Amino acid sequence: MNVIRKVGEAIDALVVYRQRQTHPELRAFRWGGRRYDVAATNLVHVEREGETIHLCYSVSAAGEHFHVRLNTRSNQWTLDEIEIES
Amino acid sequence: MPQLIAHLDMDSYFASVEQQAQPSLRGKPIGVTGKPTERSIVTAFSREAKRFPVVTGMPVWEAERVCPGLVLVAGHPERYVETTRRFLAVLEEVTPVIEVFSIDEVFMDITQAVPRYGDATRLAREVQRRFREVLGPHITATLGIAAAGKAFAKLVAKRHKPNGIGVLRDDDLPALLRTTSVSEICGIGPRIERRLGRLGIRVLSDLAEISEATLRHEFGIYGVFLRELGHGRDPTPILPFSEIPPPKSVGHSKTLPPELREISLALVVLHDLADKVAARLRRLGYLSRTVHCGFRTGVLGPGYAKQTTLALPSNDGEAIFAACRSILDALPVQPSEVAHVFVSATNLVARDALPDSLFEADRRRARLNDALDGVQRRYGERALRRGTSLLIKPLPEHVGGFIQESWEVR
Repeated sequence: MNVIRKVGEAIDALVVYRQRQTHPELRAFRWGGRRYDVAATNLVHVEREGETIHLCYSVSAAGEHFHVRLNTRSNQWTLDEIEIES
Repeated sequence: MPQLIAHLDMDSYFASVEQQAQPSLRGKPIGVTGKPTERSIVTAFSREAKRFPVVTGMPVWEAERVCPGLVLVAGHPERYVETTRRFLAVLEEVTPVIEVFSIDEVFMDITQAVPRYGDATRLAREVQRRFREVLGPHITATLGIAAAGKAFAKLVAKRHKPNGIGVLRDDDLPALLRTTSVSEICGIGPRIERRLGRLGIRVLSDLAEISEATLRHEFGIYGVFLRELGHGRDPTPILPFSEIPPPKSVGHSKTLPPELREISLALVVLHDLADKVAARLRRLGYLSRTVHCGFRTGVLGPGYAKQTTLALPSNDGEAIFAACRSILDALPVQPSEVAHVFVSATNLVARDALPDSLFEADRRRARLNDALDGVQRRYGERALRRGTSLLIKPLPEHVGGFIQESWEVR
C-alpha cells in the first residue's frame, strides 16, 4: 500500500541555478524545524495554473520521499506531500 | 544510403514515470488509473504487474483479482506530458526528423544520424544512456530499427521490450516475413485479419503471393500498402512536427462516476465538455459547422450518437451545447442513466476565413468568449466557470492520449 500524506506548508529552500538547466536544483529544505538535505531528485515536472507555472519536485531526503513545489510567480516553495511506505 | 527508421516505445510509460516520481512504488506491481475506484479502469501497468495476466483498459476490480497486491495510483497527466517533452528534446539532439506517434511512441528517420554514432545499435544505446541521465533510471525505452520502414521498426521494438534494442538486418527479413502473423502489424486488427484469412493470408509473406488486383479489390488503396508489407517494405513516410496536418475535429468525452449518471447531472458534464470543445476551437482558430454528440448507458454498454449541422459555423460553447441538446431531445425516450458522454466538433473552418457577424448579439457573445479565454488563460481553466458546473465535483483529467497539441504550444 502506498500512502500519500498531504501537507501543503510553506518551506524554506536552498537551491542552485545552473547554466543550461531548465529548472533550479533543490539542494535542501527546512520543514518542521528540521533541515532535509536532498539526496536524489527523482522527477521534476511542470504544472500550470493559468499563467502561473509551478515546478513540481519529487525528491528523496533523510530516507523519506517528498513532493515539493515552486510557484514561479510568487517564488514561494511549498511542501505538498510526503510518501509513506507501509 | 538506404533509409533507416527507428521506432522508440517507452516501457510501461505512465507506470514507470510514477515509479520514478514516487520511490515507494518501485519494484511493486502498480496500476495507473484516472481515479482508483472499483468502477474505474487501469490505463497502464508496471513491469511487475505485467507478470500477471493484466491487460490495459481492464476494470480495477478485475485487475485486482488477477494481480494480487496491485497498488493503484491516480495518474498525473502533467508528469507524462513533461517527461515526453524531455525525451523529445533528447531525440532532437539525434535527428530533426521525428514523428510523434503518441505520448509514448515516436518514429525517427535516423539515416543521416547513424554515421555520427558508428552504427544503429550504438545510436540506440546512446539514446538509452541519455534517457537515464535526463529522465532517471526507472523510465526506460525500447528501440526497434529497420530499413524496411515504420511498420517493421515498430514490430522489432515490440519484440525487444522492455529496455531493449532490436535491429532488423536485411538478411533476417525473409525469415521474419515467413513467420510473422499479419495481426502483429500495427493497424491490422481482428476484422482485417479475418478478411485476409478468407483470402488464405496468414503470415506477411502470403501478402506477396497474392495479386495486387485481388488485394486492391478487397481493400482499395490499403491493399497496395498490404502488398508492400508482403515484400518487406513499408513506404509510409515519417510525418515530422512541421508537417502535421490541421485538425479535422475537436472533441472531448467523459466517463461518469455513478453519482453523476442521472441525466440532469450528465447534462451538466455535457455542457462543460461543450465549453471545453468551444474553448479549444477558439484557441486553435477554428469554427465548427457540425456537432456530434453521444452517450453510453453503461461503461461498456450500448450507445447512441448523432450529428447535427449548425445554422452558422460556431466556436461558442452555448451554441455547441444547444446542438447537443437538440440531438438528445430528438430521442424517443430519454435515458434514465448515462455512463459516458462525448461531444465533437467537425467540419472545421478557419476563423479568419469568415467575416464577423453583423448581429450585435453574436458580437457580444464573441466579446464575452474573448474575455472568458483571457481570464482562463491567466488564472487557469477553473478560474471562471458556469454556475451549473458547481453542482458537480471536478472530474479527473484523462490519463493518456496524444501530445500533439501540448507540443505545438510549448
